Amino acid sequence: MSTFTDIGNLMYLYLDEIDPGEGTDAAEFLVKATAQQLKDAGGRNWVPTIVKETSKDRYEVVGNAFIYAVAEAAGLERVWCIVADDSEATAAITKTLSREAIPQINLSKASRDDIQAALQYLIEQPGSGLTGIKLPVATNRIDEAPRQYWKTLDPITNLKCGITKGKKLNALKQVFYVTPQPMPDVIKDPTVLQTLTAQELKKMAKKRELSGYNKLKKSDLVELLSQ
Amino acid sequence: MPSASLQVALHDLPDGALEAVVDLNFVQRSLLEALGFDTGKGEVCPQYDTGSGDVDYAVRKNSPNDIFLRTQSNPYLLIELKGRDVSLSEGSASYRRAVRQIKRYLLGSHCKTAQWGIITNSVHIQLFRKHRKVVHPATPCLAITVENIGQVIALVRDKIEQPVRALTLSVYNNKGGVGKTTTTVNLAAVLTLLGQEVLVVDCDPNQQDLTSSLGLPLSEGAVFQALTDRNVNLRTAIKPFSITYKALGKEFKFDVIPADKKFIDSVDEVQLRQQLKPDSLQRNLESLKSEYDYILIDAPPNWRIFSQLAVYAADVVLMPTKHNNLFSLENAALAMKEFIPEAQRAREDGRPVALPVFFNGERTTPSQIEAAQLAITNILKQAKKDGFDLMPHFFPRYTTTQKDLHIFEVPSYANIASAAFSRIPATYRDKTARDYYVALAKEYFLQ
Repeated sequence: MSTFTDIGNLMYLYLDEIDPGEGTDAAEFLVKATAQQLKDAGGRNWVPTIVKETSKDRYEVVGNAFIYAVAEAAGLERVWCIVADDSEATAAITKTLSREAIPQINLSKASRDDIQAALQYLIEQPGSGLTGIKLPVATNRIDEAPRQYWKTLDPITNLKCGITKGKKLNALKQVFYVTPQPMPDVIKDPTVLQTLTAQELKKMAKKRELSGYNKLKKSDLVELLSQ
Repeated sequence: MPSASLQVALHDLPDGALEAVVDLNFVQRSLLEALGFDTGKGEVCPQYDTGSGDVDYAVRKNSPNDIFLRTQSNPYLLIELKGRDVSLSEGSASYRRAVRQIKRYLLGSHCKTAQWGIITNSVHIQLFRKHRKVVHPATPCLAITVENIGQVIALVRDKIEQPVRALTLSVYNNKGGVGKTTTTVNLAAVLTLLGQEVLVVDCDPNQQDLTSSLGLPLSEGAVFQALTDRNVNLRTAIKPFSITYKALGKEFKFDVIPADKKFIDSVDEVQLRQQLKPDSLQRNLESLKSEYDYILIDAPPNWRIFSQLAVYAADVVLMPTKHNNLFSLENAALAMKEFIPEAQRAREDGRPVALPVFFNGERTTPSQIEAAQLAITNILKQAKKDGFDLMPHFFPRYTTTQKDLHIFEVPSYANIASAAFSRIPATYRDKTARDYYVALAKEYFLQ
């Protein structure tokens, strides 16, 4: 990085030098009414928009796109910006910090409290489609499931906690991602075995070359495999 | 002799000593040693990362091949230090901040093994005990003087060298019908399910709901005997309750001290008070505390002798409330402002303390919750005028930066209520009920 860098600086840039990037999804009312309020208050945006430099005198909004939209609607010639670096991580955290993106947590490792907080957030979002989901039930069943091995979030739909494929599961994808561990061939801990399906248990019995597992019930399979 | 060295160290401290001075001349010079930890052998780790911020000291005795300072794993006691310019007298804002701070550290992800926390500024000292997710005072906030410092530190050291296994929990609300017995039974059942050893005490001889909801016979005087005769042990009154949980094909057992018939016959409270002391139940439970992880006491909905015994005996008091019943909320506040402090003053060891309230057994809608929040806000305002900060007891997640007003709920569920007819805790009959109470157990008790 050269000495002549603007990264980290608050700058008063020309609007026409800034590419709006992805733009804001804020409602027209919010943009227009805020623009009016901004003009009435003297036209200085005390909360800056966040940009990166794409080439000389060219910038692109990476976060707080709402401010840019408001400045534009207010007819401002210049807008106060903070120049950020051009890394992906910076763009991502900037969007989350400016409440334009929802942070995600790793469901493979998340604590029970974190899962509960994420589900509560979703349930309370209007239109999330999760109204009617029982928070303690969903939290518990997801927490107790062998989620460290999940390759996708789909197994949640088998937990009978009211979260079905489609809108509900998609809502969960907003806040959770997974980094699965490979499923070991041998699991002997009955509490983990208990959380697998009978089909998965049979697969495991086959791999371990056990015999006579085919007609067993789940509880018997767990007993067989835990030995 | 550590006591003399403590006295000298304290005597030499200037009045307004800042934290660094208190640290060097009091903590390092004599406190750590007086508590039984050897800096030279690596039993003390300064600026320990708890997982929720750095605490001034974490300490643990070394075991063979495990020098604490090297492995920095499994801390036993955390010490948060302040300068003399920061007041730790009970009730001051800086005291409350320090308490929140030590609680946060104790619950940090690297401190699962920590059992004790100390806050001190060399003028005051207070010891906190951690039992899994519950942190409660183990002493009042004690003033230290040159004269008493030897005794005070010896008291603290005594406690940390003899940790108690059980957490004693009373389920209480002065208002009836909020689900105390249902909560007690199902919490006991679910804690057992999660591998804990549990003892349940039915401390409501007039209703005996808990005893009958488990289908157990009443005691025929064994509890009465133990509580009134110093030569009789409460152990004789224990009855086992066991059940096979179909889904897991396993048997679960917990112990019960049923309600005693003998107490019903002697309804005259004046007569009872001639034989029962406020600490009768607490003293009798003392010898059982090494055998259980949890002792749950179901208290009656009043403030008469049996509730007093139950609250006095508790480390922590769990108060079910109903979001749509103002009296259940006001009564919880009343217990926090009057009854519990009364018991604390009598016990002189900082206990019992109230856990945050929860909404029990009703379906809630957002607008009802809003109304309840408003009602609670008024209760809190009133309490503030009386000099009580009940915020953490009603809105435990509220901080100056996060205006979070969520209150934990155990939702309504038909099978929970009807379970009483079958004499089996709902938790053992129904998966959804089990989920609700696992959530309760993990929210409050299990880490």
